[in-house]
Amino acid sequence: MVSVMEKYFDISYIWTALPSLLPFLKVTLFVSSITILSGTFLGLILTIFKLSHNRLLNKIGNGYTTIIRCTPSIVLLFLVYYGIPKLAEEFNVNLQNINTAIFVIITFTLQFAAIMSEVIRSAYQSIDKGQYEAAVSVGLSPFQAYWRIIFPQALVIALPNFGNGIIAVLQEGALAYTIGFIDIVGKANLMITNNINAHALEIYIALAIIYWALSLLIEKFFSMLEKTFSKGKKTLETT
Amino acid sequence: MSQGLNYEFLIDTFFVALSGISITLLVTIVSLIVALPLGFLLAMTRINRIPVIQRIAQIYVSFVRGTPIIIQIFIIYSSIPLILKAFFDKYNIQLDIYKINPIWYALIIFSFSTTALLIEVFRSALGTVKKEQLEAAYSVGLTTFQAYRRIIIQQVLVVALPNLCTTTVNLIKATSLGYAMSLPEITLNAKVAANMGYNYVEAYLDIFIIYLILCMTVEYIFKVLEKRLSKYKMANA
Repeated sequence: MVSVMEKYFDISYIWTALPSLLPFLKVTLFVSSITILSGTFLGLILTIFKLSHNRLLNKIGNGYTTIIRCTPSIVLLFLVYYGIPKLAEEFNVNLQNINTAIFVIITFTLQFAAIMSEVIRSAYQSIDKGQYEAAVSVGLSPFQAYWRIIFPQALVIALPNFGNGIIAVLQEGALAYTIGFIDIVGKANLMITNNINAHALEIYIALAIIYWALSLLIEKFFSMLEKTFSKGKKTLETT
Repeated sequence: MSQGLNYEFLIDTFFVALSGISITLLVTIVSLIVALPLGFLLAMTRINRIPVIQRIAQIYVSFVRGTPIIIQIFIIYSSIPLILKAFFDKYNIQLDIYKINPIWYALIIFSFSTTALLIEVFRSALGTVKKEQLEAAYSVGLTTFQAYRRIIIQQVLVVALPNLCTTTVNLIKATSLGYAMSLPEITLNAKVAANMGYNYVEAYLDIFIIYLILCMTVEYIFKVLEKRLSKYKMANA
């Protein structure tokens, strides 16, 4: 007698599902890369707001981070997906036929920017003010001081958190399928629908394996980067 | 399509969505009640290097942190019925697995993922408490259990609080994915209401506001707790 588990669950199907899913990883990675670039840029602006002496800018920077931190990704995603076209409609701009990827990128850029603004702020504040003063006192311009002295040190401190932020945004991005975006998760759901819900579990396990491997890779990559960049840090400490 | 926001719908749906808050809080609180002691114990196995269990705990944490929560939901939500069905068939139990209240799935999934996240939180917090604290407790005659209960746990909690707050807020946000298992929490309630009149923007604005208030309240509570517990903070920390 065949048990129910065997009838419904076929472990070898995981390996059959992987080759159909993997090509769609490109979509996921492409969208994530743009999100990371634009999110880092926006995060930098937010950090400048947070560190500025202007009270209003401070409030905007911190308020933004709090609001995003308290909003579930799915809510933000749908607000962007339904809200932006509706807002555009008020100005007689038709955004109904725009590619869903744009909404995915906007949503996760907003989210990644909040993460990055905290990563950059804490890294920047961990650098002793004396470093900047010393750099300027030996004749570097403020830009040179930031670029050559502050930035390399802040980077080492920011790296692990930057890596965690990337993993977080990649995982939150798994929700993009909810607005009909066909990335790796969207493809998995399509496959399940085509199978009339058979082998759903195997396909989801294949998805989990892909994400898990990706997260581990990113983690490894960043710990390697950290090691490379901390070399300079050590000599600084000894001199 | 109608111009502007439908304010009447906005206000009505706010209360519809709000009615889901009890489910959201129930899932959050029960998951925390399960995950706090379990996470602490498993963190202890990692600190004390207990052979097999610490390895399993390590893989478990890595899996939860390495995969999106929605995929964990998919996996658990589609595997539990299979396992249960096999089990019920074997023992001839006449129970319809498709009539199980989705809240049970939600509790299992969110306890599962929160436990893993708390292992890491407690592990790093346990690492900050000096070994001498335990040795000092032993030297005055406390048992291991007493030492942990009276000396160590307080100090661990103080250090862990900010991360506990983040984990709790993330858990509340994650419960918004309960829609995937038809759990009638805040998000699903608003979604259902929106489906009738295509008032999606209004519905999502409502839940946006509810989560904002909910998470800010949680953050406030943790801030108060942190102040209260700060007497346990080590002087040199």
